[in-house]
Amino acid sequence: MKARILDRADVLKIVDLLRQQGYEVVAPFYGRGRDTFFDTVTDQNRDRIQIHLPNPYYPPKRFVFPHIERLMKFERSDGQIHIEPVYEQPKRAIFGIRSCDLAGIYHLDRFYLGREFRDVYYENHRKNLFLVNVVCSDVDRDINDECFCVCTDTGPAARDHFDLQLMDLGSEFMAVAGTPAGEALFADPIFRKGEAAHIEKRHAILDELRKRFKTTTSWFSATVRYVTQGDILEKTWEEIGNRCLECGGCTYVCPACTCFTVSDRPIGPNEFERVRVWDACALSGFTRMAGGHNPRKAVHDRRNRRFFRKLAHFFIQRELAMACVGCGRCAAVCHGDIGMPSVVEMIRRATGEVDKHERASH
Amino acid sequence: MSAPATENVYLPKTAVLERVVSEIAEVKTFYWHFEDSAEQEAFRQFRPGQFAQVSLFGVGEFPTSLPPSPTEGETFFTVRQVGSCTSALHRLQPGDKFAVRGPYGNGFPMEDYYGKNLVFVAGGIGLIPLRSCIVYALKNRNKYKSIQIFHGAKTPKELMYVPNLHEWEQTPGVECYLTVDRATDGWNGNVGVVGSLFKKPGVQVPVENTTAFVCGPPVMFRFVIKDLLEMGFSEKNIVSTLERYMKCGVGKCGHCCIGVAYVCVDGPVFTYEQIKKLGEDI
Repeated sequence: MKARILDRADVLKIVDLLRQQGYEVVAPFYGRGRDTFFDTVTDQNRDRIQIHLPNPYYPPKRFVFPHIERLMKFERSDGQIHIEPVYEQPKRAIFGIRSCDLAGIYHLDRFYLGREFRDVYYENHRKNLFLVNVVCSDVDRDINDECFCVCTDTGPAARDHFDLQLMDLGSEFMAVAGTPAGEALFADPIFRKGEAAHIEKRHAILDELRKRFKTTTSWFSATVRYVTQGDILEKTWEEIGNRCLECGGCTYVCPACTCFTVSDRPIGPNEFERVRVWDACALSGFTRMAGGHNPRKAVHDRRNRRFFRKLAHFFIQRELAMACVGCGRCAAVCHGDIGMPSVVEMIRRATGEVDKHERASH
Repeated sequence: MSAPATENVYLPKTAVLERVVSEIAEVKTFYWHFEDSAEQEAFRQFRPGQFAQVSLFGVGEFPTSLPPSPTEGETFFTVRQVGSCTSALHRLQPGDKFAVRGPYGNGFPMEDYYGKNLVFVAGGIGLIPLRSCIVYALKNRNKYKSIQIFHGAKTPKELMYVPNLHEWEQTPGVECYLTVDRATDGWNGNVGVVGSLFKKPGVQVPVENTTAFVCGPPVMFRFVIKDLLEMGFSEKNIVSTLERYMKCGVGKCGHCCIGVAYVCVDGPVFTYEQIKKLGEDI
């Protein structure tokens, strides 16, 4: 991977370069309060782009997997039915995507483009996507109490899956190219060659950063083992389930959740469209069949499902990573405090206790 | 925009309803074909036990099993009217258009059972997916040893595919046993749950070198499995097909997951050995 150095004042020129190349660039902004969000960059808002800010709750996942997406149109005339697929193939760049969300997109790639069937809609969004990763290096603004990418090994600096990575070194930024497309940007005069001192500085900042995370003790490896082996007591799942309000919030903010439902809605007297909409395994209708039979009736069965799907070794092997990227959004939005870090901790404690007793009795 | 190179697996193809046959109350069989004959030809290569996704204009899409055997010329679904999509299908008239995609799922590995005895146990409309295997096995009769069919329903009026049942009862080399929970309408056959047929005098269910196909409501399934295991069947020689709420049929939407399996791509056919390991209610 090639790296270059650029002046702090030139960082947003990367956005300009991408826009000149015909990309719709989305970047993070502050809302009116403390809320943050990704929005399309225009000439008017370009100067308000934030490099350092709390990661928006609404993940950039929606740029490859929209929360509502049109799949096809059905039209009826003279007894005939015409079915027309609806395709969108945007040329888009995400500027300022965090390392955790980058890992999320990589996870979606494995899921939607791997296995037996490729998802053409996902592929269309992904094909021309340019990813500019920003390393979370501002302890006060980038990293919050819930962040735990150091536990999932996805951050704070992504090692792969970006086109370009930017890291704040103070008065300068380091840019790392992850793909030929990213490297092509280095032709612009804003980039210059770096020195060994820049790399030392990067390492020093990262070393210091890792100490600044509040959540550093999520013992994923033990929990993955317990979940995979089915060692977790029903009682523990029930405790977790009892705290679930079934709002589905954890799923809707998750950069690695993939489930959707499909719905048909009218758009004219003889026309309707088929859309897919994000769905959540926390909701009781998720597995309910026509006629009312629901194989996953109890709340804790559904909670169990979410964590099993994310942490079981079988899926990790298939998708090359667990379906958790350590962004901490579920922990931030959950009213019952059963976000991923808490659950990992609850499982580790409860199952670890059982483990200990069983060993003692033998 | 030009069509992308990747096939759109979500895109159904237009089908025409040919005729409708009433089976039992609220259950009808819908004979249909694709508008496009090449599409029809490709679809007809399905395996027994696979399923299809059916789209109804303005209502939605639902998964349904394929009761015909690929050895038969016709394509049809047998569907109970239970939700909005199935009700919309029931309202269609011959000549009406709808849309279908598939076939999906693994299906029964019928070739693996060559040289074996086959035992089919179907409760109620559980006979719908098994019909495909039965017809397939009868068409390839010399490839299999003994064939037994056990079918139970609540009342005589709820026995499925009655013309087929009569035909199977008359077919040499096939044993077909029927039972009902409640004898009405002058029924003089067996009364009791489907498992009660196994112990009837004269019925000899082979256990060695046998595959048992079980399909029916959850309660019936549990009891039949218990009976079969007691008779000495090993868990891997009991196969079934599962149903789940499903949106995509291609392993993406996540609704049909049971444990580590996606019913749509890893199933719907599983051995009881696999079903037990999935670790969730079926």
